[in-house]
Amino acid sequence: MVVSIADQLLEERRARRRAGDPRFTDEGRAIVRRLTTGDLAEEFGRSLDEISDADPSLSGHDYHD
Amino acid sequence: MIVVDEYLAARVVAGDWPDGLPDDDDIALTAARHWRLLQRIHKPSGGQLTGTIERLIQGELHALRFPHPEVLHVIDPRPLLDDAAEINARYNAGGLLISESLAAGLLHHRQLWFGSARNVGLRLASVAEDLAITIHVLD
Repeated sequence: MVVSIADQLLEERRARRRAGDPRFTDEGRAIVRRLTTGDLAEEFGRSLDEISDADPSLSGHDYHD
Repeated sequence: MIVVDEYLAARVVAGDWPDGLPDDDDIALTAARHWRLLQRIHKPSGGQLTGTIERLIQGELHALRFPHPEVLHVIDPRPLLDDAAEINARYNAGGLLISESLAAGLLHHRQLWFGSARNVGLRLASVAEDLAITIHVLD
């Protein structure tokens, strides 16, 4: 099977994209999993909401109403 | 570009590729959502989050603060601002966070990808439906 240069380059790019940033360790990846899909996911989501809720330009809330 | 939320962005940068996320285009996060993520990195909110985020090493924090564009783009907000403002005005969409996401989703494949259903919100879902933007949740 002949793989074109274009296909090879796109495949390499896809592999780099899926691999994530090489500076992440297994321990760091496990921390991010806890925050995004694990036991801290709800708390992480609430903490993001707190940031936008406190910032009228992000949330559209007008605290002068 | 595939426009994602903070949950999916963090997973992609960390190398925990979410099942079901397309891998044939660049992954992108809006500036307002990156701002929320950065706020959490620089000032964890207390509780278990503080100790957990503080365990990330310098290189990992750097990867989230300054994502390499081959892994995650942070979308330049300037070309989206007028569309975001119009969406916000027409739908009372709820500020820059939601309006910028909708403008980005409209421009990029009419799709938005979330890593948690709670991060979608009723207002965003309602306007997305009217704009024919498909919401995907991978949790």
